Amino acid sequence: MSAGDLGAAALRAALFLALWGTGASIYAAWRRDARALVSARIAAGVGFALVVIAALAMMFALATHDFSILYVAENNARETPTFYSIISLWAALEGSILLWTAILAGATAFIAFRGTIAIPRLATTALAVMFAMLTFFLLLITTPAADPFARLAIAPENGNGPNALLQNHPLMALHPPLLYLGYVLTSVPFAYAIASLILGEGGDRWLVATRRFALISWALLGVGIVAGAWWSYAVLGWGGYWAWDPVENAAIMPWLTSTAYLHSVMVEEKRSLLRTWNLALVVTTFALTILGTFLTRSGVVNSVHSFSLSAIGPLLLGYLVAILVLSVGLLLWRSARLRDAGPIGAPLSREAIFLFQNVLFMAATLTVLLGTLYPLVAEAISGAQLSIGGPYFNRVEIPLALALLFLMGVGPQLPWHGASRATLERQFTAPIVAAAAGAVAALATGTTALAAVLTYALGAFVIATVVQEFARGIRARRTLHGESGPAAFSNLLRRSGRRYGGYVVHIGIVLVALAVATSQARTVDAERTLAPGETLVVAGYTIRLDAIRPVSEPQRDSIVADLLITGNGASEQLRPALVQYPNSTAAVGSPGIGAGLRDDLYTILAAYDQRTFSWATIRTRVIPGVSWLWLGGAVVGIGALIAALPAPRRRAVRMPVAEVAVSAK
Amino acid sequence: MMLARTVRIAVVVAILGLVVTLALAFRRDPHDIRTGTIGKPAPAFTLERLDGSGKVALADLSGKVVVMNFFASWCLPCTQENPALVRVYERYRASDVVMLGVNYQESRDSGFAYVRRMGMGWTTVADDDGRVAFSYGVFGPPETFFIGSDGIIAGRHIGPIDEETLVTAIEKLRGQAASR
Amino acid sequence: MNGRVVIALALVALAAALLFAARPPEVTADERIDQITAELRCPVCQGLSVKDSTSETARQMRDLVAQRVREGKSNSEIEAEFRAAYGDWIFLSPPVASWSGLVWFVPIAVLAAGLLLVSGRLRRVEAPGPVEPSAPQVAALRERVAREEAAEG
Repeated sequence: MSAGDLGAAALRAALFLALWGTGASIYAAWRRDARALVSARIAAGVGFALVVIAALAMMFALATHDFSILYVAENNARETPTFYSIISLWAALEGSILLWTAILAGATAFIAFRGTIAIPRLATTALAVMFAMLTFFLLLITTPAADPFARLAIAPENGNGPNALLQNHPLMALHPPLLYLGYVLTSVPFAYAIASLILGEGGDRWLVATRRFALISWALLGVGIVAGAWWSYAVLGWGGYWAWDPVENAAIMPWLTSTAYLHSVMVEEKRSLLRTWNLALVVTTFALTILGTFLTRSGVVNSVHSFSLSAIGPLLLGYLVAILVLSVGLLLWRSARLRDAGPIGAPLSREAIFLFQNVLFMAATLTVLLGTLYPLVAEAISGAQLSIGGPYFNRVEIPLALALLFLMGVGPQLPWHGASRATLERQFTAPIVAAAAGAVAALATGTTALAAVLTYALGAFVIATVVQEFARGIRARRTLHGESGPAAFSNLLRRSGRRYGGYVVHIGIVLVALAVATSQARTVDAERTLAPGETLVVAGYTIRLDAIRPVSEPQRDSIVADLLITGNGASEQLRPALVQYPNSTAAVGSPGIGAGLRDDLYTILAAYDQRTFSWATIRTRVIPGVSWLWLGGAVVGIGALIAALPAPRRRAVRMPVAEVAVSAK
Repeated sequence: MMLARTVRIAVVVAILGLVVTLALAFRRDPHDIRTGTIGKPAPAFTLERLDGSGKVALADLSGKVVVMNFFASWCLPCTQENPALVRVYERYRASDVVMLGVNYQESRDSGFAYVRRMGMGWTTVADDDGRVAFSYGVFGPPETFFIGSDGIIAGRHIGPIDEETLVTAIEKLRGQAASR
Repeated sequence: MNGRVVIALALVALAAALLFAARPPEVTADERIDQITAELRCPVCQGLSVKDSTSETARQMRDLVAQRVREGKSNSEIEAEFRAAYGDWIFLSPPVASWSGLVWFVPIAVLAAGLLLVSGRLRRVEAPGPVEPSAPQVAALRERVAREEAAEG
């Protein structure tokens, strides 16, 4: 039995188990039948194992170049290095859906075994929803729509090899899995929300149960998006990290609504308000992940990712419609039970800030959605063709982002229910001074664009509020527990991880904002045609072309330009290249990047003398601050980790009252 | 409550709109870009011949049906469509249909070598800085424009063209020219 | 120093910095070329601007824009030239005064609607000011902190 046969059989068996599991968990929830639950659990566990086997089988087929499988013939070649062969599992449609299904199966198994212990009936209903979704995806990959193990009648001698862009950089190993983990894990809160609606629960149990899942999926999605930005920067070779391409938009939309959700959830936990809204947010986030998949896989929008049109489009659209009809129907049906009692609170309260923040996030999401789909709508209605790209999105989103940055500083400083004048004065004096200092610092570093100066000011504002919060927390711990400064700090992170991890995330976001503002405001471009030995000067750096030479590897031919960079204390060699893969008509530009904390030096080989290598057109971009983007992404991930980790168990400490009276002075 | 009902209706309408939009999107081919100079007078130009034997101006061709084909040797689909162009050229050689090849983003030597290699017998000129291509709204080779005897751009085809499309367009324009 | 004076001074400094940043810049010819090419879509790329693209087509378009700027043409004249050949498709940002201008109006409308909705659900409440806790209150706080932390895991 070959790997292909094993994989195909495993998927079909998994499909059967998913169907079984759907029925068993529905029955178990409906009749509260323990044996049906056990049966569903087994289906989930075995199903997960089977899908993993199928994925491993595909990896094996790719690594051993089994060209009798169509997917391998299209995405692999004998010359493809083993590393890239294996990660070609997610290089194209069918394999990506397989990866998606594997993650979904894993989440289903997790709920089956862990979730159903804590809250049996709710979790079992949620399990039924998960099984139903798993069934759909398994149907996709066991039918001609997206079957990764489809066979070729005659196996070709050699395959096409992966798309040129997908075997140029090891980041390909990280970006899709991270992103897919983020996408797929949004289905867990969704399943619980649907279960809660079906069962007619009026409480918040579904929310508490999926809190960590929501945070983890948000974090993975965010880090996956940053990884995608890094990939765009390091691989696509146009000198930027975000182009508002439809596939990028597809990823950022659920992330935006997920961020809104993480915050409005706190309002529900604290004050039992906004139930309908939170349910709607969870549904929206999940629906956007499906919409995103639809947009990038159906071929209806031209995008960096749309390499092939496929029959999967109408199926995904049908799935999306079914989800929307089900969710909206349930919400409308049950909304009476979820009504809020009374007004939310005062305008200057934490709840109000969270609400305003939610509105801003929804406006931002709708803008992205509108901008991505509008060309389709306009053409369908009037036949006119228009483009909506970077300039539009930037003009609308940047003011929204600045407003959100401001709220990010204000929100945590305001108490629940409302703030008095004295509180405001005490909380915001230092941050406002910091904001002024930030603005001045921006001007001092030569960043004079208005949006950038505002970003610096608001960034300093937020950092000051976070520092204030940590100081306050450390002071409180010292008073209450008698801990030293460093111990108090680490305990804040460990025991109140949700709150202080959140603050760390905010710092990460500030770093990202500063990176974007600085790189947008102060990037400098220069392009010159050089002969070997000639130089190009830009922003204090001198770039000398040393040589242009061809390089041959088994899977590709490249023309490399050797550049020497000097000036501003730098001295390094960069090698931008034009890489030609046999299966692609155009060469892929591979940038030479000299990364630094202050500036990145981004070099591109735009053109060269094809006959005698006597000249090369070198384009150089000096991009300040872009490294803070990756740094900020890492800080966001760390902050999310701190927030997600459970606090260590501690024994309750009892202190005699007399001691307290002394230490409180 | 009135507001809640309005919100519900708005949500349902919005989702319906979204779904309809996406369903409509299937009818559209993302590679078909139509906006441009069609229906407008063909922009004037004066370009040098690839074989160095002088210049060609659009004014020289007035009153004739012109098939203007943008090509380059680095463009793979151009080599694929070339046989069709050759056959059509032979067919209309004796008539007043003019076929003009415009070489694009390429050196003269390289372009001329391609012309000779592919047996392109019709007039070919060089658009060195791409200005003529921009004035016509060219997206990229191969691209073919059909200009009527009245000097108006009647149609444009993006991508490799086949004999049938060429002949249909040419016959239509000849019919219009005859009735003027 | 009185807190309010500090805040006022800081706000003045901030406003000054922002006003300085907001002053209309003198635009050099190169910057004009950048401005125009940043709004033009490269016909042979995936949604990249002419400014960002390294393709030959984009380079030729940049040359054309540069020449027009040298000839003294205004931004709108140069844009009109490209619009005549390619239609609105060649611009990455749809024109405001047209059907496609709806795309500018909708985000603002949604934002306004949302803010109004939210403001309608808020109510003015007089909250008490900050007060230093007394010793028994601190003890009670400690017990409560201990309990909550034990529960938070």
